[in-house]
Amino acid sequence: MFDFAIAGIHAPLFLLMLTGFTVGIVGGFIGVGGGYMVTPALIVFGFPGYMASGIDMTHIAGKAVIATVRHRQLGNIDWTLGLAMVGGTMLGVEMGVRLLSYTKALGLSGVVLLMASVAIMIGLFLYTQIETHRAQKKINQLSSEGKTVGRELSTSSLPKLFQSIKLYPIVRCRTARLVISMWVIVLVGISTGVLAGFFGVGGGFIRVPALVYIVGATTHIAVGTDLLEIVVSGGYGALRQSMMGNVDMIAVLFMIVGAMFGAQFGSIATSYVRGPAIRYILSYSLILATVGAFLRLVYILSGAKFEVLNFAAVVFTLGEMIFLCFFIVSLVVFAVRFRQGKWVPPWIPSLVVSA
Amino acid sequence: MADPAKTKGTIKFLVWGILAVALVYYTWHSYSSGQMITWYYWEANQDGYAINADTFRNATKEKPAVLEIGSFAAISGLQAVKVKKGDRLPQNCNGIISEKIIKEGKRATLDGNSLKVTVPTETKEAKGFKYKDSFKHKGIHTNPWSGVQNLFMVIGMGLTLGYMAEGFTDMMGIKLQKIKHYEGAH
Repeated sequence: MFDFAIAGIHAPLFLLMLTGFTVGIVGGFIGVGGGYMVTPALIVFGFPGYMASGIDMTHIAGKAVIATVRHRQLGNIDWTLGLAMVGGTMLGVEMGVRLLSYTKALGLSGVVLLMASVAIMIGLFLYTQIETHRAQKKINQLSSEGKTVGRELSTSSLPKLFQSIKLYPIVRCRTARLVISMWVIVLVGISTGVLAGFFGVGGGFIRVPALVYIVGATTHIAVGTDLLEIVVSGGYGALRQSMMGNVDMIAVLFMIVGAMFGAQFGSIATSYVRGPAIRYILSYSLILATVGAFLRLVYILSGAKFEVLNFAAVVFTLGEMIFLCFFIVSLVVFAVRFRQGKWVPPWIPSLVVSA
Repeated sequence: MADPAKTKGTIKFLVWGILAVALVYYTWHSYSSGQMITWYYWEANQDGYAINADTFRNATKEKPAVLEIGSFAAISGLQAVKVKKGDRLPQNCNGIISEKIIKEGKRATLDGNSLKVTVPTETKEAKGFKYKDSFKHKGIHTNPWSGVQNLFMVIGMGLTLGYMAEGFTDMMGIKLQKIKHYEGAH
């Protein structure tokens, strides 16, 4: 147990490092900050809510830098795309925060927030699942025809639609091999930023699918580029939270040390898999978070009568972190076995790369 | 003959590793020396009484905590210092009981030259999760430089630890090549 003088609590350092480690794996792999998992975990460890949000946001900035360094080495970052999106994201986050204040003033925030998040996450989950399933089938079909299948395969036709908008200025993103109107990138930044600001999260779980299905980036580049976005938005959040006195830096320090190991594993793990594998895990993270949010929604709508629902929401949110880590680690283990020519489940070859 | 890539990786690992350790030490020292804490509890953001909320966290309506009001340079135990918005906070202060709370009389009341606290915590909620909220952090204003310092430390730690890890894999001979995103059918 460690005495956190600023937060004013005693909490085990080991659990903080473990949280940093697990969220580091998930964040490095699917390109999210993981705020929706870390804040509840810190509250469970005894940190007050405002402090949990501040520590979470600050650690996300540091973890995103670590993962970005590794994704840069793997060639997963399109700097033009990332930097073009930053302005829109920041504007969107500010708009989302104001929208939240407005709904709060109307006395609606709790229910509206949960209903909107449940609806959006279910929509994203279904679209990602259906599209990824189609992509996996196509990979199997191409493989059976004896063709070499690339690392990325997406069956969505949405990117072509958005790339056909010829509204100047047109941006050329070399790494992502995209030629797209700057306005599309900015609008994606604003809309995902609004959702992030409204929900009070980093927004990676919305931005990664948006980069894949609207902008047309490959999943790996979407993950790396999104982490670059998180460095900027997380850094701004860390500055604001620190100025409000909501950050205990020692807690952040230990979480970052844990995240260093986790983010390395998560980032390097992306080099073992194809795009659809990342999209599958992203969609599972969405649906698990949705179940947690749905349980809390039912709890609120029932007039906070059934405490068991709230408890189940906590269990789901924390369990999600462990489940996703286990899933990612299993995928890497199977990818290594596949490379060595050992037995793997039949659904694995279409999700991993052979070398 | 040593592999040049491994030698380069070793140098990278050592240089960034030393920088990372220096930054971690600086953060730890700022925290343990009290500098970071002083910057956090910098000045009053509202009129009220500067207190150390940790000293009366077990107070109840039946057993209230009675805080002696005075002009102390450092708060020691059950003491409180009257402050106005913008005043520098006394040492060991970590929160303010505002005039508004005292007027309401639900959690704390004035009793002559002392302050009686009956409800030190209340249950609040963040992102749907409940927690106990005390007077800690209430009504205080943080030194704006602490935000800049924290940002510098967290970005610095991310960079140094990130490059140190990259140096480590290079040193171990784990070749991480750039991913070929566009090879094969897609």
